[in-house]
Amino acid sequence: MRISRRSFLEALGAVGVAASFSRLGEGRAFAQTAPDYKALVCVFLFGGNDGNNMVVPLDSAGYAAYAAARGAIGAGGLALAQAQLLPLTPSSGTAAYGLHPNLPDVQTLWNDGALGVVFNVGTLLAPTTKQQFLQNSVPVPISLLSHQDQQHQWQTSLSDQYSRTGWGGRIADGLGKGPLPAVISISGNQLFTVGASTSPLSLPAAGGSFGLAGFDGSAASNARLQAMTDVRMLQEQNLIVQATQSEATAALSASKLVAPVLAGTGSTVDGLFAGLTSSLALQLKQVARMIAARQTLGVGRQIFFVSQSSYDTHNDQLNRQGALFSDLSPALKAFYEATIQLGISQQVTTFTLSDFGRTLQPASGDGSDHAWGSHHLVLGGAVKGQQTYGAFPTLQLGGPDDFTSQGRWVPTIAVDQYAATLATWFGVSAADLPTVLPYIGRYPTANLGFLG
Amino acid sequence: MTTRPSSTPARVRFHPGALPCALLLLAGALGCSSSSGTPSPDGGPALNADTVRFLEQSTFGPTEALVASVQDAGFSSFLDAQFATPASSLGTYAVNLEPPAVKCPTGSPPNCYRDSFTAFLPAVQFFHNALVGNDQLRQRVAFALSQILVVSDGEVNSTYGMADYQQLLLDDAFTNYRQILQDVTLSPAMGRYLNMVNNDKANPAKGTHPNENYARELLQLFSIGLVKLNSDGSVVTDSNNQPVATYDQSVVDGYAAVFTGWTYPTMPGVAQKPHNPTYYRGVMEAVQANHDTTAKTLLDGATLPAGQTAAQDLKGALDVLFQHPNLGPFIGKQLIQFLVTSNPSPAYVARVSAAFADNGAGVRGDLPAVVRAILLDPEARGAAQSAPSYGKLREPALLAANLARALGVQSDGVYLRNASAAMEQPVYQSGSVFNFYPPNYPLAGTTLVSPPSTLLDSTSVLTRSNFIYALLFATINPDPTIPGATGTSAPLTALGTSAADAGALADRLNALLMHGTMSQPMRQAVVNAVNAVPTTDSLDRVRAAAYVVGTSAQYQVEQ
Repeated sequence: MRISRRSFLEALGAVGVAASFSRLGEGRAFAQTAPDYKALVCVFLFGGNDGNNMVVPLDSAGYAAYAAARGAIGAGGLALAQAQLLPLTPSSGTAAYGLHPNLPDVQTLWNDGALGVVFNVGTLLAPTTKQQFLQNSVPVPISLLSHQDQQHQWQTSLSDQYSRTGWGGRIADGLGKGPLPAVISISGNQLFTVGASTSPLSLPAAGGSFGLAGFDGSAASNARLQAMTDVRMLQEQNLIVQATQSEATAALSASKLVAPVLAGTGSTVDGLFAGLTSSLALQLKQVARMIAARQTLGVGRQIFFVSQSSYDTHNDQLNRQGALFSDLSPALKAFYEATIQLGISQQVTTFTLSDFGRTLQPASGDGSDHAWGSHHLVLGGAVKGQQTYGAFPTLQLGGPDDFTSQGRWVPTIAVDQYAATLATWFGVSAADLPTVLPYIGRYPTANLGFLG
Repeated sequence: MTTRPSSTPARVRFHPGALPCALLLLAGALGCSSSSGTPSPDGGPALNADTVRFLEQSTFGPTEALVASVQDAGFSSFLDAQFATPASSLGTYAVNLEPPAVKCPTGSPPNCYRDSFTAFLPAVQFFHNALVGNDQLRQRVAFALSQILVVSDGEVNSTYGMADYQQLLLDDAFTNYRQILQDVTLSPAMGRYLNMVNNDKANPAKGTHPNENYARELLQLFSIGLVKLNSDGSVVTDSNNQPVATYDQSVVDGYAAVFTGWTYPTMPGVAQKPHNPTYYRGVMEAVQANHDTTAKTLLDGATLPAGQTAAQDLKGALDVLFQHPNLGPFIGKQLIQFLVTSNPSPAYVARVSAAFADNGAGVRGDLPAVVRAILLDPEARGAAQSAPSYGKLREPALLAANLARALGVQSDGVYLRNASAAMEQPVYQSGSVFNFYPPNYPLAGTTLVSPPSTLLDSTSVLTRSNFIYALLFATINPDPTIPGATGTSAPLTALGTSAADAGALADRLNALLMHGTMSQPMRQAVVNAVNAVPTTDSLDRVRAAAYVVGTSAQYQVEQ
């Protein structure tokens, strides 16, 4: 089950990757003024967001196909009413798709040109058609439809193995050493954040504390702190002990720098999050506060990970997903507005990931089951917004995109391509891209074009 | 088989260097004084290191009294007695009818939601029982089972429903795994958590298919896992060196069809309906009209004929699952990880799988035999294990309970429950069916796994230290919102008898918390911290020592 570092490197070698990295933004990325500051913000929707009810066709034929397969609400079905959908009107022409009614702020961001939608993205090992999948003529990700494995594959891009690193961490591997780890999770440990040579920082959501308590400067207290430090610095043989010591050392080091930022009450971005109490809002608020303090902290390139849970809507989906979207929508808008206020909206790109999409056909209990490809949101001043990217699947049970009979879409865009587009914008060179995304060369393009 | 405690106890007083004495003893080095000796007047009782380790693995933590008792009785007798000890109770909670339009209408008691619709109170009782219950091994195994067969109040918004489910795992902990599969499958709490309750056969008119949730997670998490395993837990690979899947979507479809036609137990005094209202007491009831009676394809080509009842299909499907060769290594390895070590050798897993396959009397799935095999295995026993890959990070609940028991903390469980939650392990309230952490979480910078390290990040590592500080130094008053609350206190009086002698204090904590593995430099650091406190202040001297040991990675990783 475990993949060693060596086999990871072999995997890289197998696709002809140079082992070394040119240093991204070296020598200037961490300058105090950081004029070229950039941040990627990953919003992971844990559980498998039902993209079929996030973006729905508005044209009569498309909506009719959707409604027929999804079934009527109140009769075990999940079809949202056509009139309730929020039109995604492009800069010219009429709206072909509508958003879930609980995403009004997302519609606003679209209308502002800051948000795009990428269709039918999923874990892949090569471009794959339904026929190829059914004939087993292309390699297929291991453990499709399993939450944990598909979460990991979205985070690592390596769908044929149990990778020990994620693509966020591998981007950070190329960044050189800064005053803080380049990757910061506000959602605890996540594979996305782990590099081959770098480790992430984990911070609490807004309101949480990040420091060591219990030392008052007395002689006894100082001696206790010294003893604790001495013990932490002892060379130990046990690898789990070593890793635990390292985590504490990293935490205490970062805490000195970050605790004052987190403890501050006067961050200029706080007001934009007023009234928002969801976990996601508090996480994004913390990200905004960290970005606001970027010059104080002396950081130039940052990757953040935040998340929302409970998208595994096997039952009662309409209420559950609706409530989740009611949290997601204002949180994304508040965060985007924070980047505008900070004058760096062009330099911060936010994007969604999720385990998988869900079956178009409802399951017993007013829900839906695990599927594969799904739609995703990209947000930021650099996003070429008010547009969709990729091909919308044919909403037909057993149709050309469904590899089962319940409406599970074979992805037409690989996670690798989605990630490569973001990484390229962030500054990873074409030459370094395969180090971050080892299988990117298998796809016709490494840039989906949603970032300018 | 009778295994007595080691006749060469490894309690040590003097360490010649940085290496634990156990290592030096393995290397044949002299100078590790390893006499069980007479305890010094101020040093507490002599503790056999292997007995301390055994109790770290089999209970919520050794106390000096328990170590002495097991030293007398022997491991095997202790296990026999534990297997026969009935379960502690997680409390008695009133049935709350659901779904009321408003769970706690205006005028309800202030903590109505917490106390009636969450697992908070049973989790508080969990920690209290961990401190004082006699069924220590049963509680440990049930806690492991609760992290394999996960149900959470994130979905089961019911205090009595959550308590009943966790009590089921306590009561079943020493039965057969087939019994557990049966009882868990028919538990209304599990039925609600993974949508087997009121799961109907495919309905062409509505365009719905049977809900796949329970089928998928039963296969993936509760029994056999995603990939074929050898009996030593290693993955079976194909000619391309890829793991071989245990099943595909068609098997999930088959099991999803099996688990149709069940509803909540019928509430007393209420007429049965095809979809009974929410009620968590008892077992789910079959509703044949909602059951899919077509033939089903199950694992590895096994089939169930058309026309069976819901109960017949359920029995047949669980029987197939129970006989699958993955079951022993899949469940056995995880139990090893929960009780003993995160990276067991393949040979260790194979020995436990063999005990799972046959308890010695031809019975498969006998959990006492599996638990005995895990705890008496050569890889579990001995004064210490020296491989750099050995051991496991103490997960928050076990860290809290182990410290509290060793230090003689008295607690109603409230503070320990809250502390564990703050350290990312809210007992009985996992964020998903995937538990607080996966069994294969990679340990950064190594080729090892360390499942509990999922919960150790730069925030929680500080929270852990702050918890230990508060436990030792703070006054934790009874929570006034909880009737009968007594608070948490650490008078530390027992250890106080060693407070005058910093070295003796360090040695006593070494024996009790670290089964003698503390190195000389670490001991010196503890001594330094203690000696910075005036000898007149024995309480603060004990606190200082316990803080330095408790916050150390050397202690927090159980080796």
